[in-house]
Amino acid sequence: MYQAKTSFFGTYRDELSLNPDVGTWSWLLHRVTGLILVLYTFMHFFALSSSLGGASTFNAWLANLQTTLTHLLEIGLVAVVAFHLLNGLRITVVDFFLLTKSHKTLFWIAMIIFVVFMVITLIVFLPRAFSPHH
Amino acid sequence: MNGKTGKGSAYGWLFQRITGLFLAFFLILHTQVLHFAKEWRIDFNVVTQRLDSTGWVIFYAIFVPALLFHAFNGVWQVVHDYRPSLGTARAVKTLFWVLGLAISAWGYYLIATFSKGA
Repeated sequence: MYQAKTSFFGTYRDELSLNPDVGTWSWLLHRVTGLILVLYTFMHFFALSSSLGGASTFNAWLANLQTTLTHLLEIGLVAVVAFHLLNGLRITVVDFFLLTKSHKTLFWIAMIIFVVFMVITLIVFLPRAFSPHH
Repeated sequence: MNGKTGKGSAYGWLFQRITGLFLAFFLILHTQVLHFAKEWRIDFNVVTQRLDSTGWVIFYAIFVPALLFHAFNGVWQVVHDYRPSLGTARAVKTLFWVLGLAISAWGYYLIATFSKGA
């Protein structure tokens, strides 16, 4: 009988030790990336709220965010979004087309697309992070 | 190992997927336009010019509530992993609905601010 877990990480640790496979890892990563994106959404709305102070306040906010560090964090954000989006599409396809038997193959297909997309992202975003007038 | 959450849980599952599909499309477009397109420098004018079009206003008017539903329903799934009691579940759900609707309203206010600024 499955026992209800009380500790914060216990649920996830037990799930991983019971079934240490791509299905569990992708489930865990989907949870973690999802929570990061929720926090990002709040920050995004907060930053956009500077527009209430008018064009100059908003532009000053954006200018302050143009640093090498924030551009590198932006690449991390794209990675988090890309993983959550591609794995989410895989989950939806598995659920809607009853493809549970193929879920691992579909996960690796999603990860191949992820890697290709991240290579493109690095090519586009990395020069910006180190551009002299960011 | 699913708790006794009744049919609300199945709707949550379905809407999580439907909003997810919408968000996949919206987010790709949003990121493409703002970060991958050649003109990547963003300032107040760039945003207000885009939000001068009714099409973009409708786009964000759907994007914002879909995003907040997906976000809070997703966090609710995480809470659900810990098998909350019925009382806790009800309190958390209520809190998430209030926050989701309030932040959506705030998002609409921001869309209106940018839309008026053009």
